[in-house]
Amino acid sequence: MRRWMRYLICGILGVLIGAGSAAWSIRIGALGSNQKIGAWTTGKDYGTAGASAYTRAVVALRGLLALPATEARYYNAAVDSTGRPLEGRCRYRVVGVGLPTKWWSLTLYDREGYLVANQPGLYSVGSAGLPSAEQAHWMVTVAPDQQPGHWLPTGRVARFELTLRAYLPDDRGKGNFTKEQLPVITREDCA
Amino acid sequence: MIRHWIGPVIMGGVLGFFAWRTAMVATPDVLMGLAVQRVSAVGGINQFSHAPLATAASRTIVRPSPDLAYSSCPFDLTNGPLLIDAVPVPAPYWSLSIFDSHTNVALVRNGEKADDQPFKIAVVAPGQTAPTGYEAVHVDGTRGIALVRILIDLPARFPAIDQERRATTCRAG
Repeated sequence: MRRWMRYLICGILGVLIGAGSAAWSIRIGALGSNQKIGAWTTGKDYGTAGASAYTRAVVALRGLLALPATEARYYNAAVDSTGRPLEGRCRYRVVGVGLPTKWWSLTLYDREGYLVANQPGLYSVGSAGLPSAEQAHWMVTVAPDQQPGHWLPTGRVARFELTLRAYLPDDRGKGNFTKEQLPVITREDCA
Repeated sequence: MIRHWIGPVIMGGVLGFFAWRTAMVATPDVLMGLAVQRVSAVGGINQFSHAPLATAASRTIVRPSPDLAYSSCPFDLTNGPLLIDAVPVPAPYWSLSIFDSHTNVALVRNGEKADDQPFKIAVVAPGQTAPTGYEAVHVDGTRGIALVRILIDLPARFPAIDQERRATTCRAG
């Protein structure tokens, strides 16, 4: 084989592998993959010049226009509290406590980051809509079929994610919520 | 025989690193550019479009919050600054944020920080100046999105807030 052909082959392979591995790692990256706390992942440098190239790319793909930590914190869960992927055919109990923030909400998305179609049009549960008696201790059931109490429909998508938004955190985003403060996601059963 | 491949493999590795780095750095700019295109296709450039509350049919922006009413102003500063006249709305939370072409946040101002008073912002590119009466916010590049988020705590309040949020405007200066 001629010398220039060897350089050409390796050059093309290098570019394809480099660009391909970047695209692959961005695509499988979770929103806020910097820190893992129980089932939740989060990051603090969204929207800032200090964000790494990888964080910036993943946030652009999975949560474009996310706010910096001083304004809002984003916690994302693609697994339950035992580490199993969240599946749309299963029923989950999500239990949480009051969070040190002005308001919070829990939203269900498909793996692409879009809201999941469901008949009653329920997409989130948040502190703004909870009665005062439930602010300190709340429970949401995530399931494909209607449930008593606060229900988030899965729409029977294969896999889904939960995003917890906490706006105006009391510490202005300096620290993360602890494992004890973040909701526990327990799989109950699967259809 | 194998020594003939050492040089080409090293060159391939170097090119691969640069391709990886280029893809990482370019991704946010490309996605922001696409977002500016998508949003401006709805309501035009340098003006606010006021989206309904997000549903499963919403595809303009990834991971929209169904609790927030979004008003977005995609901007292009090629011909001058973007002038934003922000007017408070009676909601538990609202904010104006400005994102540049690299997805960096140039400004976030919420109702608390603004003391729920109107304010004026001029989004300026390098070399541009803000008109009198406008606070200058400098961004990298010439394109980006200004975004108003309003918390809708009760869906029944949305129609009234939908009217009131239209008092906030953006325009080319």
